Amino acid sequence: MMRQAFRHLARRRWLSNVPESTVYGGPRPQDASSSAAARRVTVTSLRGKHRRREPITVVTAYDYPSAVHVDSAGIDVCLVGDSAAMVVHGHDTTLPISLDVMLEHCRAVARGATRPLLVGDLPFGCYESSSTQAVDSAVRVLKEGGMDAIKLEGGAPSRISAAKAIVEAGIAVMGHVGLTPQAISVLGGFRPQGKTVDSAVKVVETALALQEAGCFSVVLECVPGPVAAAATSALRIPTIGIGAGPFCSGQVLVYHDLLGMMQHPHHAKVTPRFCKQFGNVGHVINKALSEYKQEVENRTFPGPSHTPYKITATDVDGFASALQKMGLDEAANAAAAAAENAEKDVKLPENN
Amino acid sequence: MSQFSRLLTPRVHLNNSGFFPPSSIISPSSLSRQLRCTPPPHHSRVSRRATSNGAPAPSPAPPEPAAVYGGGGANQQAAAPRRVTLATLRGKHRRGEPISMVTAYDYPSGVHVDAAGFDICLVGDSAAMVSHGHDNTLPISLDVIIEHCRSVKRGAARTFLVGDLPFGSYESSTPQAVDSAVRVMKEGGVDSIKLEGSAPSRISAAKAIVEAGIAVMGHIGLTPQSVSALGGFRPQGKTVDSAIKVVEAALALQDAGCFAVVLECVPAPVAAAATAALQIPTIGIGAGPFCSGQVLVYHDLLGMFQHPLHAKVAPKFCKQYGNIGDAINRALSQYKQEVETQSFPGPSHTPYKLAATDVDAFLNALVDKGLNAAADAVENTEKEINGTPQLNKIYA
Repeated sequence: MMRQAFRHLARRRWLSNVPESTVYGGPRPQDASSSAAARRVTVTSLRGKHRRREPITVVTAYDYPSAVHVDSAGIDVCLVGDSAAMVVHGHDTTLPISLDVMLEHCRAVARGATRPLLVGDLPFGCYESSSTQAVDSAVRVLKEGGMDAIKLEGGAPSRISAAKAIVEAGIAVMGHVGLTPQAISVLGGFRPQGKTVDSAVKVVETALALQEAGCFSVVLECVPGPVAAAATSALRIPTIGIGAGPFCSGQVLVYHDLLGMMQHPHHAKVTPRFCKQFGNVGHVINKALSEYKQEVENRTFPGPSHTPYKITATDVDGFASALQKMGLDEAANAAAAAAENAEKDVKLPENN
Repeated sequence: MSQFSRLLTPRVHLNNSGFFPPSSIISPSSLSRQLRCTPPPHHSRVSRRATSNGAPAPSPAPPEPAAVYGGGGANQQAAAPRRVTLATLRGKHRRGEPISMVTAYDYPSGVHVDAAGFDICLVGDSAAMVSHGHDNTLPISLDVIIEHCRSVKRGAARTFLVGDLPFGSYESSTPQAVDSAVRVMKEGGVDSIKLEGSAPSRISAAKAIVEAGIAVMGHIGLTPQSVSALGGFRPQGKTVDSAIKVVEAALALQDAGCFAVVLECVPAPVAAAATAALQIPTIGIGAGPFCSGQVLVYHDLLGMFQHPLHAKVAPKFCKQYGNIGDAINRALSQYKQEVETQSFPGPSHTPYKLAATDVDAFLNALVDKGLNAAADAVENTEKEINGTPQLNKIYA
C-alpha cells in the first residue's frame, strides 16, 4: 500500500543496550537533540525513581504503533508481554506463543520506542527446563529482540537459579510473582494469590529470593494490598503491581485493557476487575470503521479531495482512442466520462 | 469462470475441549454451512475465560471474583451472521453495490473489522510498515504474515479473508508461488490470497494458484513490493502507455482466473476504464470513486499515528475517520498521571482481600521471620484500607 516517507520525532533505536551515559559512550543518535538519548530510561534511572519514591509506570506494547504511543506518553518501562498471546493473537491463555514470535514483537517495539526501558517476556516453555535453556532464551531476547532486560515468572528454586544465571550473563532480570499466568495449569486458572497466610508469606519470601538472585525489580500480580505492601517494604528493589493495590513502587497494565480496546457497543469484553479503563478506543474504532464503510457504500468516499492522481486531458483522449482501437468501447467511454465528471465533481453511476 | 464455492475450503473449528460442538449449534441455512462445525460466534471467543480448563464463564461477577480474568456472559447472537463468500461479492458487484474492504493485522483489529460488517478483510503485507515499523513492505517474511493471518482469523468469523503473499515468497517460480499460497491458506486459515504485479511470470503464477484451488486477488498500479524498480511509492497510469498497461494487466489477471483486482494509486479515469473493461470487481485505493469497491489501511483511516507529539503524514488519498492516536495518547497520559499521583489504583481497582484474621497471622509470621518493616507496612496498609487517612509510608 502507498506510504509516504515517515517523518517522526522518534529516534531509531540502534539495538544497543549500552546507555549513553556509560564510559564507552554508545551509538550517537543522528539527530540534533541528543538530550533525547540522555533521557533514556535505564535500570539506574529506575533505581533513582524508587529511591525518591516516585511511582514507576509500566505499560505493555506489542508492535510499532503501540510502542510509539507508550514512548510519547512518557511511560518509564515498556514491557513486551507474553500477554500478546491473548490480546494480539486471540488465544485464551499466554501459553501458545513461541519465542520466535515474541522476538518479532520485541523487534517491532524496539523500532518504535527509543526512550522507555524495554523489557521482553520469556514465554512459556523457553526457560523452564534448565538454567542453560533460560540463559539461551534471555540472550536471544536481547540479541535478536533488541530489548534492555527480560522478565520471567515464578519463584521455584529452579527459577531462582535461572534468574541468577541470566543476571550472571549480564542481563537485567525482572521477576514476577503472585498470579503467574504461565502457571494457570497448576494454579487451576487465573486465580489471585497470597490470600492465605502461608501463601502470603510465600509471596514475600519469593520476592526476596528473586532480589537475592539479582533481579532489578519484581512484578506482583493479583495479590491483596497488604501482601504487596509487605513485599514492597521488605525489598530494596522496586515492585511493580498489577491488581495488587496502591502500595507498590509502580504499576503495570496491559495496553489493550487500559485503552478499552475491545469495548464497543456490540462487543462487550470484560476487562479485568483491577484494570481501569482510561479510554474507550474500541468504541472510537468501531465508529470510525462504520463511517468509512458507510461512505464507501453510499459512494461518498473517495471524493475529489481524496482522488489526487491526475492524467492530463490530452492523455485521456489518447487513452480513450487507444482503448477503442483495442475494442474496449465501454472502457473508453468510462474513461472519458470519468475525466469530465472529475472536473464537474459529479458522481458517475456504476458501469455494470 | 471458476467457482470457488465454500465446499472447496471448508473450515472446521474445534471447540476448546477438542470435540466438535453439538449439531444444535450448526445453523441450517446452507449446504456449505453444514460442512463446517462452527463454535459459537466469535463474540464468545473474545470474552476472557474464567478458567483455563474450559469451564463456562460465570455470569454476574461476585464482589470479589474467584478468577482474575473473569469472562462475562458472551455476546452470542441467535444465529451465526452470514459469512461473506465469493458468491456474496459477485452478487454485490452485479447489483452495483460497492464492496467494502479494509486491512487488519491481529486479533483485536480482526474483531473490529468483523463487527463493523466489512465485506473483505485483507491481512496485508503493509503490516511490515504499520505493525513492524519498517519503511517499506519488503522485510516481512511469509512465516510472520501467516502469524498475522492466524491472529486475524481468530477474531474475524464472518468477513472474507485475504492473505497477502509477501515480497520474496512467490516471484522466483510458479511452484514457489503455489507453495507459498498453499501455506497461507493451510497455516494462515484465510479464504484467498493476493499477489502483486502483472508481468507474464506473475500471470502464470496467478493461474497456477487458481488451478491449485485457491482464490486469487490481483493487485496492479502502484505495487509497493516493486518500490525498487518503480523508484519509490509512485502513482502509475499517468501516461497513455502506462494507462493502457494498467487496463491490459487487469484483463490478463481476469483471464488467469482472479476473482478481483486491486487498483492502487492510478488516476480516476484509468480506474474507471479498467472497471468497465472487467467482469470481475475492482477494489481501489487512491484510484478514485469509479471502482467496484474501496480498500484502506486500518491504521491510516483510524488516524493511529496522529497525536500532538508525533506527526505522521497519512497518504493523501486516505481519509481519517478517527483520531485514535490522539485518544490513545490521552488515555496513556491519564494513566501515567494517576499512577504518579497515586490515585490509581484506588479501592475499586484493588479487589483482592486478605481476611482480617489472616492479616494478623500474616503480620506475626513476618515478625517471626525478622521482617519488621514489612510487618509495619501491613499494619499501615490495614489502617489505610480501614479508612484512617495517612500519607504513604510504604517505602520506609
